[in-house]
Amino acid sequence: MKCGTRGIFAICKRLTGLALWCMLPWCILSWCALPGWAQTAELHVPETVEAGHSFSIPVVGSGQATFYLVGPDHVVKRSVSLGSELQIQSSDVRSAGLYQVILCVDSTSSCTSATFEVKAAQPAHLSFFLHPSRVPVSTPDSIDATAFVFDQYFNLALTPEAVDFRITPASGAGFSRRGTTRKGVAWMRMDSTPHEGRVQVTAALGNVEEARVIQQVAAEACGLRMKAVGSGDRVSLETDPVRDCSGNALPDGTIVSFTKIDKLGKSTVDTPIKKGIARAQFSVHGRAQISVACGVVLGNEVALNGGL
Amino acid sequence: MKSIVAGALALKRVKPGFVKAGFGKLGFVKAASFVIAACVLAIAQSSPKVNLPQVHLEADGLTPRPIEELTGTTIARHYALAWHDLAEALESNRSGRIDEEFVGLAKDRLTHRIAEQEQAGVHVRIVDHGHRLRAVFYSSDGTAMQLLDEAQLEIQTFDGNKLIDTQNAPHEYIVLMTPGADRWYIRDLEEVSSKSF
Repeated sequence: MKCGTRGIFAICKRLTGLALWCMLPWCILSWCALPGWAQTAELHVPETVEAGHSFSIPVVGSGQATFYLVGPDHVVKRSVSLGSELQIQSSDVRSAGLYQVILCVDSTSSCTSATFEVKAAQPAHLSFFLHPSRVPVSTPDSIDATAFVFDQYFNLALTPEAVDFRITPASGAGFSRRGTTRKGVAWMRMDSTPHEGRVQVTAALGNVEEARVIQQVAAEACGLRMKAVGSGDRVSLETDPVRDCSGNALPDGTIVSFTKIDKLGKSTVDTPIKKGIARAQFSVHGRAQISVACGVVLGNEVALNGGL
Repeated sequence: MKSIVAGALALKRVKPGFVKAGFGKLGFVKAASFVIAACVLAIAQSSPKVNLPQVHLEADGLTPRPIEELTGTTIARHYALAWHDLAEALESNRSGRIDEEFVGLAKDRLTHRIAEQEQAGVHVRIVDHGHRLRAVFYSSDGTAMQLLDEAQLEIQTFDGNKLIDTQNAPHEYIVLMTPGADRWYIRDLEEVSSKSF
């Protein structure tokens, strides 16, 4: 056979003058004559499959082979007959990711492989985070909501999906914001609303909903004022009800500081708000100046001229 | 240690002022807009028994929160450790150290796969040529970070001692990491096709 092909090669070369071109038929003949050619299996796998969906892979060839499926959380090895269809069960492809199919023909030990991608199924779970758990009222960009979208097998759903964030304050009208997922994540940032109390934020995607609650508390004091009532060399101080700029009462226990400066020097009393009002008493010696503060907010000043 | 100093000098050359400002708040902000060349190789050199894969973390324009320099270095280091442990586990079919770097779904899936690999007599050898990590989401409370990884891997599949397949193409992964007490854990690791990337 080789002598024959050499003769053909010589004639071809003489006629065309192209040695490489004339070698081509010889190469094809030699390759086809390799043992086991007829035993090579061919795999035709789909490019993508939805998670949890069974399918079949047609296998061309004849004889027996060993089939391997290697996935992110699952490995299958079994003997199969070539020329039939390989059944992939729904339970074999629950995890999203790339799967490797390998088929090794038993008689020749030659292996063929192919890869397919399992993509997440329809969204079925939301993993929802709301931050922080307590926030002052009317604070810009203070609330963050993040939603991760998963399918029923907890694969991240990478297809863009619209997630509605529904905000329901304790008082006042509710509203909603829409975010679209990127790589399975949707997030939004918003201002806290003007009134204290619980605010429920619900992330919704189709029929899937997840709710979280955030507690809005009064912001810093606003228009802090005190009045002084004297009795001998003592003075009693009392604030007006302490509220923030939206009219929310600061919670009891919030510290209010009264500071007195007289001829004996400087003296400060820190006192908690009780029932919305803070109170303190000082003994005064000569001229005195008294100020009030709550957090970073300064209130009014009272000047005392040698007692009241 | 020498490599860390060299790394810092290299940063200074590439972006003057970065190293100087790196200790203040401004430094953190600058770090967010800068490609963090993780000192994973330096760490590997300081502990000669561990040969960690190379990991480069890019965190440019990360939202809604910028990444702190120290966080970036920690993430790159633990991601490299995770791939080192993963490769060891898939080759030996022992899930021993998986729980040091993986939690939740990622850990469950890997553990399940290793058990089934062993049952089938299959093992996988990963020749790791490095990872380019890109942070794409960092939650404002700092509890979750999503990253994309372009990994240069050679994956060899064996049945017993017989090599049955070799994959030498680039691999892309979507990664979800969450912080623990002293490290960042991989909570989700999904390989995707380059089209999905």
